[in-house]
Amino acid sequence: MTAAAIEKTVVDFLTRTKKLPTDFHVEMNLYADGVGLDSLETAELSALLEDEHGEDPYSSGTMPQTLAEILAFYAAGAQA
Amino acid sequence: MIELIRRVAESAGDREAIVTGQVTTYAALLARSEAAAAALAGRGVTRFAIADHEAEVVLPLLAAASAIGAEACVLPPDPPAVLAELLGRFEQPVLVTDRADLADLEVTAYSSTELFGAPAAIGTETAPARPHLVLTTGTTGAPRGVRHDWARLLRGVRRVQPAPDERWLLAYGLHQFAGLQILLHVLAAGATLVAPAPRRPREGLAAMREHHVSHASATPTYWRFLLAELTSDGGAVPQLQQITLGGEAIPGPLLAQLRGTFTQARVSQVYAGSEFGSTGSTRDGRAGLPASVLNRPEDADVAFRIDDGELWIRSRTGMLGYYGEPPVDPDGWRATGDLVDLDGDRIVFRGRASDIINVGGVKVHPLPIEERVAAVSGVALARVYGRPNAMTGTIVAVEAVATPGADPDLVKNAIRDACADLPDAARPRSVRIVDEITTAGGKIVRRTDV
Repeated sequence: MTAAAIEKTVVDFLTRTKKLPTDFHVEMNLYADGVGLDSLETAELSALLEDEHGEDPYSSGTMPQTLAEILAFYAAGAQA
Repeated sequence: MIELIRRVAESAGDREAIVTGQVTTYAALLARSEAAAAALAGRGVTRFAIADHEAEVVLPLLAAASAIGAEACVLPPDPPAVLAELLGRFEQPVLVTDRADLADLEVTAYSSTELFGAPAAIGTETAPARPHLVLTTGTTGAPRGVRHDWARLLRGVRRVQPAPDERWLLAYGLHQFAGLQILLHVLAAGATLVAPAPRRPREGLAAMREHHVSHASATPTYWRFLLAELTSDGGAVPQLQQITLGGEAIPGPLLAQLRGTFTQARVSQVYAGSEFGSTGSTRDGRAGLPASVLNRPEDADVAFRIDDGELWIRSRTGMLGYYGEPPVDPDGWRATGDLVDLDGDRIVFRGRASDIINVGGVKVHPLPIEERVAAVSGVALARVYGRPNAMTGTIVAVEAVATPGADPDLVKNAIRDACADLPDAARPRSVRIVDEITTAGGKIVRRTDV
């Protein structure tokens, strides 16, 4: 998997759910005052990441705050 | 149960009892049953399991068991390792099977051939206690052994009228309680059982056409698959006189679809369960049960009540208890596990209590969502279930089989659109297009983590 493919999954999801801020960037917080994902939307994103990339950071016990942290999770997995 | 066969065999022995690749008449069925009864009694068998599924083998073995008061148990069509576990769990000392792959199991085994070939020498009196063991399908966990007695089971078909011209499709396995119900109904009516193998919708549709099936009873899931097969192969629509549905909550749109396809057929519903037996049928073509069943008299064979949103039943045709557990009051009230609402003059089924999806503490019924998804253009079949999730414990998930030629991405979007107005917790958070839907015992499996 590539970082671009993972980023596309996240951005497509945010676009579909009408949650993509116009100024979205990889360091933007995904929750609260950032993108504003709630718990169910986050659950949906985790399921989507698992479906498309075989695993997801949330199911591994971490709570990534940004797209950058999601990308880092997969990058770390690729190096392991 | 052998008395049902004997009654027809004595007056119309050459009538077709079972049609598979071959025909077994009532006279031949009785001869096999009596031979097997004599052979089992001669070997001192009081309990045995059956690992075969051909109707012409299983029926006479069940009839033989009922004649001598031996407890029979038909095992599911599973691999040797699974059957070995079941034989151990239910302490079965004897196995009747013609399967070569079961030769290594550590159990006393007899072939049907040696039992059916024995000289028949039994009386026509039946044993005072005539136990029968039915294994649950295990859709909500490990199978349990449900203890019945033939005298109580037969009470459920005592009002069946003779109908020698009816030809019933066997769409259930004979290890299932629903298969047993069809069997008893057919024998009580002196009708003919058409039993294709395997008992999948494709083979069922072929058997309907080839063997002129007039009556068919199956789960809503089976009927959905059969309608999909019918659409796919474009062949002739079988001329059914009666369609019966049971085993799962029945969506109203499916009833309409069946009526539109099988225009000559009467559509009825049965409500039955391994534990509480048969409760009769509803023939008004509407989903659910008439609320009038709640007003049945105290001495009715089957009475209903609703308690805290769940349907309860008191049945005089139901089980005696579970294998390995203390006996229950056979005529007492039992929770069915079916969640219902009273809607005007109707008891409407909302799903199984065990199917409820707990989304972050919010209870979601999968069935209404599944009905929405199934109605989406491009969806051939669908199941809604709870998918484990680290954030909320469980999320509502959809698996759908797309119709041929449908664009999977468009179908996924259409499913999401169809569910967009649902409450947040009930909205599907995982939508996948799959090649097939998981079923067990002809029913969609909705429990979490399948």
